[in-house]
Amino acid sequence: MTMTASPNPADSRRSRLLGKVGQKDQSLHQQQIDQLRSRADFTPELDYFLQVMENPWPAAVSERTGRPLAAILCLQAPLELFQAFGWQPFKIYSGSYVTGRLAANDLPAIMCPMLRSALGAMQLQSGFLSSFRAWVLPTTCDWVVKFTEMMKISAGLAIEETSLHRLELPHLKDQDDSRERWLEEIYKLKKFLEKMTGRVLKPGKLREALETYQRAYAVLSRLTELRRQGAVPAVWFTSIANSFFYDTAENWTAAVARALPAFEGRPRPGAGGRVFLAGSPIFFPNFKLLELMEEAGLTVVADDLCSSERLFPGAVNISDHSEFGLLSALAERYHQGCLCPTFADNDRRVNNIINPAKREYFEGVVFQVLKGCHPYDLESFSLAGPLQAEGLKFLRLETDYTAEDSQNLLTRLEAYRHHLEA
Amino acid sequence: MDIKIGLDLGSTAIKMVVVEGDQIIGRRVAPTSPGQDALAQKLIDGALAELGRKPAEIRGVASTGYGKKLFTGAGMNIDEISANALGLFRLSGGQARTIINIGGQDLKVLNLSEAGKITDFRMNDKCAAGTGRFFELVARLLDTPLERFGELSRAGAPDLELNNTCVVFAESEIVSLLARGESRETIIRGLHGSVARRVAGMVHHQLPDDGAVYLDGGPANNPGLKAALEDELMVEVKVLAEPQFTVAYGAALALS
Ligand code: SF4
Repeated sequence: MTMTASPNPADSRRSRLLGKVGQKDQSLHQQQIDQLRSRADFTPELDYFLQVMENPWPAAVSERTGRPLAAILCLQAPLELFQAFGWQPFKIYSGSYVTGRLAANDLPAIMCPMLRSALGAMQLQSGFLSSFRAWVLPTTCDWVVKFTEMMKISAGLAIEETSLHRLELPHLKDQDDSRERWLEEIYKLKKFLEKMTGRVLKPGKLREALETYQRAYAVLSRLTELRRQGAVPAVWFTSIANSFFYDTAENWTAAVARALPAFEGRPRPGAGGRVFLAGSPIFFPNFKLLELMEEAGLTVVADDLCSSERLFPGAVNISDHSEFGLLSALAERYHQGCLCPTFADNDRRVNNIINPAKREYFEGVVFQVLKGCHPYDLESFSLAGPLQAEGLKFLRLETDYTAEDSQNLLTRLEAYRHHLEA
Repeated sequence: MDIKIGLDLGSTAIKMVVVEGDQIIGRRVAPTSPGQDALAQKLIDGALAELGRKPAEIRGVASTGYGKKLFTGAGMNIDEISANALGLFRLSGGQARTIINIGGQDLKVLNLSEAGKITDFRMNDKCAAGTGRFFELVARLLDTPLERFGELSRAGAPDLELNNTCVVFAESEIVSLLARGESRETIIRGLHGSVARRVAGMVHHQLPDDGAVYLDGGPANNPGLKAALEDELMVEVKVLAEPQFTVAYGAALALS
């Protein structure tokens, strides 16, 4: 007689929950994609970005790019270095409010909604951990620093220490020894990648990688210029930026270049209601705020979100072609060019907004704080005064991934639109 | 003379005013319930009939509030923050510089310039703490009509501090206070204080040195809340007659 083990009730409840959340998450993604496809300003050139976002899972990205994946937790990890080793950097993020449910237990009640959502999303993927050959964790905000711990506790996903590299970020910029320490960190990352890939970094390959990213930066800059004129709706700008990690930099650059003419020929909206969007990042499919801003008659012409305009810290200048020269230039760009609020000396965040080259394009600043995102929450208060002193009208909005506050947000955005005219 | 209609379709009540020139000549209110379009129309029809005016005399209808787009008869929509500023500034004879509005599920603080333009505003996020909903819940819990809150709170002991304005936690806090034997009067007084502290958190550093502070919205009818706010903000807080109609009035003014 053979005995069959009856399934553990907790396991079967868990798999039912995973199934339910997975289905909901899928339909949330699809709804948002369908909504974008049905917009009057959708053009066939934009379909590439939607297709890529339709299947953003690591297994699909690995197949699409034909490259091994390295998970990165934040843009502070220099993307070009992964490219130089022939690897695809894959930023861990999620904008789905549904998946957060899977990470509800064993975590602080108020935490970064983006990372909570990501913690849930990774549980929906069987073999999630094995999709990545390495993990690089820059020590930026506390949530990022503690992320791998949270993965273990709340998702039962333990990364092997040997495949995890912590990139220690000096939180001061304007000091020589910080710059030196950061360069050392970049060298350590290089060594880690050499060990993981079994290859030695070749300066030629690094230069090629820098050039590839220069081209990516150039198309994003052109798109940004068009955005300043009001020609690129925020949902499209964000879709384009968000899809970067789901394909090779080369394919993405070509796709943006193909999409540019569609925006170039687009009629510009009338003056009024032009704003700078600052604060916590916005990731697909959570375009709630962008859509509400549009509904309220506001046009985002600039932003400093790490999920869109700050995708790249800028093009790396290549003057010294030695390994040291290239790595130094890369390190400098990522440290000095970064406007993340986790830095302690960060006047540049204000200056970046009131920079005269940008300032002329907008009338006010909308600052989004994701509840639980402490760096931006703190900064929303320190930025308000200096920006108001510059004559910019400032609106701080605190929200999360759920839709239930939409009406409340819309009321404030509509009043703000009026306020801009006053 | 032509008349204008202002409608404020809020989360707990629909308020309607009929305006002639800049005078309110009629006002009506009904609790919000499904079918807001028909409900709002009924308010207009009822008011016109009472005033002996004809629909043909209506020069325009403007709607505001959460349900502003639900009323199909409105020729224009305006957000309630801008409508509030317009309405109260006019009703205060140009005196108002700070407005504290307590609505069904919102708390708003507006700063106005001498010309009545909004210079800054704040609004609670999705938490209903300290809003009209919160007062309703406490009224149910204490089995006491809201209209009596002002008078009862005057008789309450001054030193009870309620810690929670969160609707959920306040409920259990009040239940345990009752169990401890605290009087209804003292609890209501403590409640006003806790709401006033929450409002003060939104007001303080933007309270101008000159210019009057006004309280409006339905809960502004509660003198106990006004007193608690004055105590907390250390300024006089003015309340105009019928403060729940200010926003609807502002919507009507936006038509001109
Ligand atoms: S900075 Fe904010 S959004 Fe980014 S990871 Fe940290 S908490 Fe999350």
